[in-house]
Amino acid sequence: MLTFIIKRLAVAIPTLLILVIFSYLIMYAAPGGPFDSERQLPPQVMANLMAKYGLDQPLIVQIARYVWNVVVHFDFGPSFIYKDQTVNDIIRQGFPVTLTYGFWSFVVATSVGMSLGILAAIYHNSWLDYLAVGISVGAQVLPNFVMAPILVLTFTLWLGWLPGGGWQGGQWQYVIMPVIALSTSFMASISRLTRSSMLEVLNANYIRTARAKGLPMRRVIFRHALKPALLPVISYLGPAFVGMITGSVVIDIYFSTGGIGIFFVNSAINRDYSVIMGITILTGALTVLFNLVVDILYAWIDPKIRY
Amino acid sequence: MALFEINDLSVQFDTNDGTVSAVNGVSFDVNEGDTLAIVGESGSGKSQTAFATIGLLARNGHSTGSVKWDGKEILNLPEGQLNKIRSSEIAMIFQDPMTSLNPYLKVSAQMEEVLTLHRGMSRREARAECVRMLDAVRIPDAAARITMYPHEFSGGMRQRIMIAMSLLCRPRLIIADEPTTALDVTVQAQIMDLLRDIRYEFNTAMILITHDLGIVAGSCERTMVMYGGRIMERGTTAEIFAAPTHPYTLGLLDAVPRLDRREDVLPTIPGEPPDMLRAVTGCPFEPRCPLAFERCISVVPPLERLGETRVRACHRNPEEVVR
Repeated sequence: MLTFIIKRLAVAIPTLLILVIFSYLIMYAAPGGPFDSERQLPPQVMANLMAKYGLDQPLIVQIARYVWNVVVHFDFGPSFIYKDQTVNDIIRQGFPVTLTYGFWSFVVATSVGMSLGILAAIYHNSWLDYLAVGISVGAQVLPNFVMAPILVLTFTLWLGWLPGGGWQGGQWQYVIMPVIALSTSFMASISRLTRSSMLEVLNANYIRTARAKGLPMRRVIFRHALKPALLPVISYLGPAFVGMITGSVVIDIYFSTGGIGIFFVNSAINRDYSVIMGITILTGALTVLFNLVVDILYAWIDPKIRY
Repeated sequence: MALFEINDLSVQFDTNDGTVSAVNGVSFDVNEGDTLAIVGESGSGKSQTAFATIGLLARNGHSTGSVKWDGKEILNLPEGQLNKIRSSEIAMIFQDPMTSLNPYLKVSAQMEEVLTLHRGMSRREARAECVRMLDAVRIPDAAARITMYPHEFSGGMRQRIMIAMSLLCRPRLIIADEPTTALDVTVQAQIMDLLRDIRYEFNTAMILITHDLGIVAGSCERTMVMYGGRIMERGTTAEIFAAPTHPYTLGLLDAVPRLDRREDVLPTIPGEPPDMLRAVTGCPFEPRCPLAFERCISVVPPLERLGETRVRACHRNPEEVVR
């Protein structure tokens, strides 16, 4: 197991390197640059700017220098647009925010989604099943840019219970609505996945064996059916967790939370090269990490998987 | 009073294509220490008959009629009450030991829970008893291997585990649903020997569900032949084998390969098992029956007594049923 983890972490290095090179190439190939604006800058100013950020160097040198700085100094460079901030600053400020509301979204989405899915499967074709499926379809078709204003209308304008936005260091009143808005669609997917996989497992021969042994339904479900039913859900949860903790541009705009979700989009629009790269690497590294976590969980659940 | 008495049992399944009648008015009984084989090809309703008796039908299935265990009606009892009988009095052995044991749980966990649940044993007592039972079904080095997972055993060994698990509570009846179908021939023989030995040892009654007449002859006193969810013929195994009185039984017996006949092509029953979605007005076997006549199409042959031990459902007279 330990050798497997070490091996996988070793493979992560070339994976991330390839990710860096590809992102850099795509970014480079995209027309425009960070210093393009309505009014053309004088050529001399432009040349100075390019030289200052190293953009006048050959592509290969740029990439090598970038990688060197990241690996050796853990320095993702200065932002090209926010003149007084480095990428490290942006991630240091934004990531704890998205990590907070993303983590709670994950907790909500998984617990509610799994419970709904399991209930729907146990009471298959009953009103409870239809209700659970109805809720998850509803949650799925309601995009978060619709969900967010509905929440603000309801809880801020009508009921006056919650602040309409801001973060205030992550006090709970400010976290609730981002969490609800972000978690609904994930919750819906988790619930549908859990339901269909649980239904399949409940038809398995070994479940019939468990019932033939006279085990109470509760034990059949939780001891015999839950583990195998959760396998496909878990492989979805890895990437979903990364998706949630790296935030969402919609949430960051609507609730002015100041997470990194908004930088992801803005940096791409502004050609803020270093911020794009920084967030891409962050997301990539997290994805690699949580895919590894998924694989470890798989080995823990399924005894046939041995690394 | 018989130990296990089934009267006019019918099973229906609701499917998207309509209601399927899998079992139609089946009656039989099993006495203490008795052995009964239920024989028929796929889709004859033999397994569903057994599942229905202890409430193990799939969710879309429902059953009517009467099932009496030890004189008490148990058909369609609530799950909680059936659970008291399952495994502790009526145990089941399933067809495919590869998929019938939970691949995600250790053998020890799957066996021990039967005893902790039904007999209120502690984990430690249960473990000791499970190891004893695995020894009894001749699993070598049981004490060490009990903590392994099912996939670490061979098919034959898994079926032994299944049998050991079914015996834990010393049930009075074992229902074995095609216990050897998924195993290769030499292992089949071992498993049937084992089943016979433990039946003597524990004096357990057995219902053996199979399509393999070869294993019936050596292991069951009585045989019931089913087709299209109905009983075709029932009697002692000796009678059925020596003098079948139903064309379907005759066909089944002819299809058993024999060493004393030289054959290039094994005889088969022409046609296919019935489409259970179609309501049958007459004998279900009529479309494939070489002896069918007009009445077979329109009238279901009633189950008639023939001598002390025998019943049959055929419009032909017994002496007309010959090869």
